[in-house]
Amino acid sequence: MTEKTPADLAKRIDIRDLSFYYGEHRALKDVTVPLYERQVTAFIGPSGCGKSTLLRVLNRIYELYPNQRATGQVIFDGDNVLEGNNDVNLLRAKIGMVFQKPTPFPMTIYDNIAYGIKLFERLPKSELDGRVENALKRAALWNEVKDKLRQSGLSLSGGQQQRLCIARSVATRPEVILLDEPCSALDPISTAKIEELIDELANEYTIVIVTHNMQQASRVSDFTAFMFLGELVEFGTTEKMFTSPTVKRTEEYITGRFG
Amino acid sequence: MRMKLYARRRLRNGIFVALSIAAAAFGIGWLALILGTLVIEGASGMSTTLFTLPTMPPGSSGGVSNAIFGSVVMSAIAVAVGTPVGILAGTWLAEYGRHARFAVFVRFVNDILLSAPSILVGLFIYELFVVHMGHFSAIAGAAALAVIVIPVVVRTTENMLLLVPNTLREAAAALGTPRNFVIRTVTWRAARAGIITGVLLAIARISGETAPLLFTAFGNQFPSSDLNAPIASLPVVIFQFANSAYDDWHRLAWAAALLITFAVLSLSILARIFESKRISQ
Repeated sequence: MTEKTPADLAKRIDIRDLSFYYGEHRALKDVTVPLYERQVTAFIGPSGCGKSTLLRVLNRIYELYPNQRATGQVIFDGDNVLEGNNDVNLLRAKIGMVFQKPTPFPMTIYDNIAYGIKLFERLPKSELDGRVENALKRAALWNEVKDKLRQSGLSLSGGQQQRLCIARSVATRPEVILLDEPCSALDPISTAKIEELIDELANEYTIVIVTHNMQQASRVSDFTAFMFLGELVEFGTTEKMFTSPTVKRTEEYITGRFG
Repeated sequence: MRMKLYARRRLRNGIFVALSIAAAAFGIGWLALILGTLVIEGASGMSTTLFTLPTMPPGSSGGVSNAIFGSVVMSAIAVAVGTPVGILAGTWLAEYGRHARFAVFVRFVNDILLSAPSILVGLFIYELFVVHMGHFSAIAGAAALAVIVIPVVVRTTENMLLLVPNTLREAAAALGTPRNFVIRTVTWRAARAGIITGVLLAIARISGETAPLLFTAFGNQFPSSDLNAPIASLPVVIFQFANSAYDDWHRLAWAAALLITFAVLSLSILARIFESKRISQ
């Protein structure tokens, strides 16, 4: 399945035999897939195939809800993060997440970014200012907001809010960034900006993106995983997946014949 | 045939609209009558001495300053005690107890408390405070009002927190934020305007309560700032003066009633301003 994997790539996260349950319903079935360091991996598949669920396992955000349960292994830094002895907040500080809808906090633009930094670091004001500025620059938002850092984050447009959320995630210096359909609520121009941003961030971070948009997956990702009904159907380099997939169903989905 | 059907439908519509207008006019008419009487009667009793002089024997011109003071003090204590308790309980219901069976019970009891006749609250505090202390007191009055404040604040706090989208909680948690910190820094903040509205409505609710104060604060002819002694309050003064045989006391009762109405009205307007702020967020 992964014969085209460049041998020199390190696995940043290794998912093995991952299953997930919403109560009795099994949403993921023995998914095994590697996430390579400083590569963009896209998860595609029809609604309800389990791609967002998989993302929500990686930072254990599903634990906010009772009756949700994951089994199997998610190896990160040599540990299985699903074993409860790891501190979940430290894990989440290393694995950032951006959601489908922009989620700015009800506070100023500056405080939105400083929020995550202040959780784990006590910095002098000047250094904090620098970190905020840097994060906003990384998210290509600085020029638009530098004169209104004291305004509410809610005053920004949808696309700006989403970049604010990416900046907030980047500011805490995570190692992995999870993007859960980050552009589905945005217009084409904002989408293009975010895709550029993903390209940029991939130089430093391991990025996992869930998307409904096939073109987006082919544009931004290095590897693509196709999921269907909770199972991983095929995984490979994006180039191979989009030109000569080995499984017929992958080809049918990518060419728009179903899903 | 078609036109006939349509004409009948139009006729029915006309009747329905007319009935609706009549019902609305009936309701508003009574309200206008009450408010009109209150303003006319109350305005004649309005004077600066209303605010500066305490209640006095009939015949000598007095005011209700001691009652205003008593009402403000007892309401302030009730809100100071009831608000934190109510907000914390409402927060537990919305944030931690959402899936707990115990929460169903707490919510049920809170709803009972919310609609319990306030005279029962007065009797309860009478047993708890007045009987044990051996006398009426401002503290007992404030306690009775606090018991009325709590369920109102619990209810609104829970409802307002439930309106905060889960994605916001997830986003904060995804940064590695401990749960209690998420609540204090993000969810409370997102629901702030709504929670303040709830507190304002609770104040409006207690400012007119008479029954629970009769058995607890009792009333006091003279100015008093002793929390351990009986204290006057506007609703009780209205009750006593309106029941008296003296015209000057009647005038004071009307004026005091007008005062309370205006206070509640201002609070409601303030609450609406906060409410619209919440929505525009």
